[in-house]
Amino acid sequence: MAGTLTKASEKTKTKSRKMKKSRRESSLWWMYLPSVLIVVLFIIYPFLDGIRISFTNWNGFSQTYDYIGLDQYKRMFADPDTWLVVKNTLLYGIGSTILQNIAGLGYALLLNHNLKVRSFTRTIIYLPVIISPLIMGYIWYFFFAFQGGALNDIFLLFGKDPINALGNPAVNPYIIVFVNTFQFVGIAMIIYLAGLQSISKDYYEAANIDGATGWQKFKNITIPLLMPSITINMVLNIIGGLKLFDVIVALTNGGPGNASQSMSTFMYNLYFARQDAGYAATQGVLMAIIILIISMAALLYFKRKEVEA
Amino acid sequence: MDQLSSRTKWLLTGLALMITAFHLIPFYILITTSLKKAGDFTSKWAFPSNFDTENFALAWEQANLGNAFINTAIITVFAAVLLIFFGSMAAYALARRTTKLNKYVYMLFVGVMVIPPLTALVPLYRLVVDFGMMNTHLVAILNNVAAFMPLTIFLYAGFIRSTIPKELEEAAKIDGASTLGVFFKIVFPLLKPITATVLIISSVYIWNDYQFAIFFLQDSSVQTLTVALAGFFGQNSSQLNLVAAAALMASLPMVIVFLFLQRYFIEGLAAGSVKG
Amino acid sequence: MKKRITVSVLSLSAMMALAACGNDSADGGGSSDQVKLTLMSTATTKADQDIFKEIVTDFEKEHPEIDIEDTYPGDGYEDLARVKMAADDMPDLFDTHGWAKSRYGEYTEDLSDMEWAANLDEAMKPILTDDEGKLHAYPINQALDGLSYNKTLLDEYGIEAPSTFDEFMTALEAVKEKSNGEVVPFWLGGSDKSQFGQYFDEFSTPLLITDKEDSYKEELLDGSFDWSNYTYLPEKLKEMNDKGLLNEDVLTAQVTQGAELMAQNKIAFTMLNGSVGREVTGLNPEVQVGTMPVPAIQEGDSPSWIGGERLTLAVAKKSEHLEEAKQFIEYIAQPEVAKKFAEGTSLPAALTNVEADNYFAEFYKQYEGTQIQPYFDRVYLPSGMWDPMGATGQELIAGTMTPKQVSEKMAQEYTRLRGE
Repeated sequence: MAGTLTKASEKTKTKSRKMKKSRRESSLWWMYLPSVLIVVLFIIYPFLDGIRISFTNWNGFSQTYDYIGLDQYKRMFADPDTWLVVKNTLLYGIGSTILQNIAGLGYALLLNHNLKVRSFTRTIIYLPVIISPLIMGYIWYFFFAFQGGALNDIFLLFGKDPINALGNPAVNPYIIVFVNTFQFVGIAMIIYLAGLQSISKDYYEAANIDGATGWQKFKNITIPLLMPSITINMVLNIIGGLKLFDVIVALTNGGPGNASQSMSTFMYNLYFARQDAGYAATQGVLMAIIILIISMAALLYFKRKEVEA
Repeated sequence: MDQLSSRTKWLLTGLALMITAFHLIPFYILITTSLKKAGDFTSKWAFPSNFDTENFALAWEQANLGNAFINTAIITVFAAVLLIFFGSMAAYALARRTTKLNKYVYMLFVGVMVIPPLTALVPLYRLVVDFGMMNTHLVAILNNVAAFMPLTIFLYAGFIRSTIPKELEEAAKIDGASTLGVFFKIVFPLLKPITATVLIISSVYIWNDYQFAIFFLQDSSVQTLTVALAGFFGQNSSQLNLVAAAALMASLPMVIVFLFLQRYFIEGLAAGSVKG
Repeated sequence: MKKRITVSVLSLSAMMALAACGNDSADGGGSSDQVKLTLMSTATTKADQDIFKEIVTDFEKEHPEIDIEDTYPGDGYEDLARVKMAADDMPDLFDTHGWAKSRYGEYTEDLSDMEWAANLDEAMKPILTDDEGKLHAYPINQALDGLSYNKTLLDEYGIEAPSTFDEFMTALEAVKEKSNGEVVPFWLGGSDKSQFGQYFDEFSTPLLITDKEDSYKEELLDGSFDWSNYTYLPEKLKEMNDKGLLNEDVLTAQVTQGAELMAQNKIAFTMLNGSVGREVTGLNPEVQVGTMPVPAIQEGDSPSWIGGERLTLAVAKKSEHLEEAKQFIEYIAQPEVAKKFAEGTSLPAALTNVEADNYFAEFYKQYEGTQIQPYFDRVYLPSGMWDPMGATGQELIAGTMTPKQVSEKMAQEYTRLRGE
């Protein structure tokens, strides 16, 4: 339809140039040219160039380097740190996604009731979204710190020994998951609330007449009709979790050693502290592939569920 | 769903209040810490007996927050304006003209969304150096515009497709208005709700951006709030009261904006999620 | 058609211009005829930064036409410096922290024709001068690093400053026992990797360098070093941790907490050096801090100070204001300013015509004649080893690496970085 009308408006112009011109003009490419240029220059070109650098041994600052073929890739697959960091990244991505969705949906179900404290609660739960993740990380650092941390104050009160949670590599990745969840659960909650409010009450009334239990209604009406919200939340949270950076910097700086490092912080460390830019680029390629596969898989899986529902 | 017995209602209200209290913990700790005098090692839970607002003056001065506020504000405002201007224009063309080229371009934008910004870091860094844009506001602005452009276009295109009637534009066209004229005079005003969404989401993220800023704005004269704070934390890790005061001041502007425009934040996000 | 292209090009350039405008407004301040010098220093402690700022202000008063913008990135200095090197955009004045010749050599201006060069301490000359006679940087002070300890506390317990590693271990256990576990025998602010780096770096000298029979100087330099010889250090560190001789929060403690804890008599030994003494006594006048050279490890060997330039300033070769930058160096090289600087940082000056008072003077006298060795990594390891050195220490304590794996990791990085 758009096509015919464009042609109509062009009728006044000369016929000989009409075909060619209308075909090009109908794309209105000049309207998105600036956006394409910015994205190509600042994302696509650097991304492709990163693939090139991953075949070099560049140290990150000198003006010369050599192409060393697949050596960095071989090194990456043999490096135990790679798998530790991938494992952490997946934990941050998948762990936060699960927690955020369970808590977000729970909060949304609770606040979907007409309670007096509803908007106050909603505001407070959403508030951390507005705060910089770096600052949120610092605040939780005050909470978990060994010396004078709020958590250890409670332990001392009950006569227990203080714990050094942030220095314990078996625990601190979970603290990072917790802090990330705490920060962004508000977004999941709002999206679920919007989804819940778009479900027509008629469904529930019909189910009531059929004598359905609360759980049956939840399983057979709420969840299927919430599928679009679930898709958005899953995909948003998983991408956010896999890219996690600021919170880690604030809480553990990736330590001790590399114990809580994500792929993002690991790359930062390789590039700056280790003079290992070529290898950092190689890790970057791996990270892009992992994020691409997981987010595509999540998107396809939940889209299919949406169709089924 | 609202025919709850009053007992259930009380129980749910109690539960909601408990959750709220839990979510208030970090803010409470931030405030008590920021009010304590240096050398006051009482529990983080204890409210200081005598307030000390000196921390705020000291932190403001030492962390160079005034300068950082100006930098952050410049970057956020320019980036948000450019995003809305170019993003809405691009989305209009992509949503209205479904030529083959436009389909590919749209796919390109959606595909870019999964590239994690840090994977392009090293080469981007070299590029910025080659352009001589290190430590300029421009690099932070363009970086943020690039990072949010795909999402912006995605949201605008969805909104234009689903809610803006074509008839309006067609009528204007027949009256002889140019494409650009039609877009800015007729379409753009109708995009207000989604513009609010884009503005709010992108401003919050750009204001809080640390990943880009830490790389490209290392010079103290162009530092943003997050970079200034990270540096300040490193130097004052034994004086958490100062760090807390600085963190509180850095967060306050966005919190105030949020409290006043809360409705738009929440509606905008909800609208974006339902329509997108 | 043309019009459309013009529109997009125009809007793009308008956007650039807008953004650039925003830029200028922030840079404003300072009249245009004033020369602006950028200065970046590794000064990390508050005391060091304060004296630096004071001297910069004094200089600006004397030279109102020069405005120095001094920054102290602390922990982030090396990262930032690498970024600036990659951009070929070094500050007019910067610190070379032990890497004047190898890492920063390409970017420094030759200072050998400046007046103070004649008074340079003999020990500094080979470190800062290359084979062609180019003098890369001005040393503000020099380090004499070893261990610092709470002398008041050790005197009370009747423990003497150890001179061998075994004595050191015995002393640590004695502290633990006599204080009933109240005092941390050996404290490291290990949230900062460099604290572990400091441990490995300082103790590598007695382990691998100073003893004639167990010296690996040549192997380290030609790349044939067998890193299993290094395992002793991680083993000992692990032993200290297992025996509870380190602070419990060794992985999360912040360096800046050290002085405070020492002033509260909660720490016996630390790897903090320089201004820590003045800082502690400033907080609690009843505590005296002592310093001692690094204990010997091999039998028959004697302790050694780890020395070398601490804070330096080099002039960037590509600086637009070479003259003014040199003028600042000339200013701080004057004997009275150099004295002030050295005293402010509690470290000896690096010029022979300067006699500075020092917090640790009596200790330096006590150990007079003790050999002075350069920083191990600066001489024997390739650039870039500092990070793995510290990181492996963290992993060791966290239990994610064994002492043997620490050595293997070091060997790997050593081979990689030498290959560049």
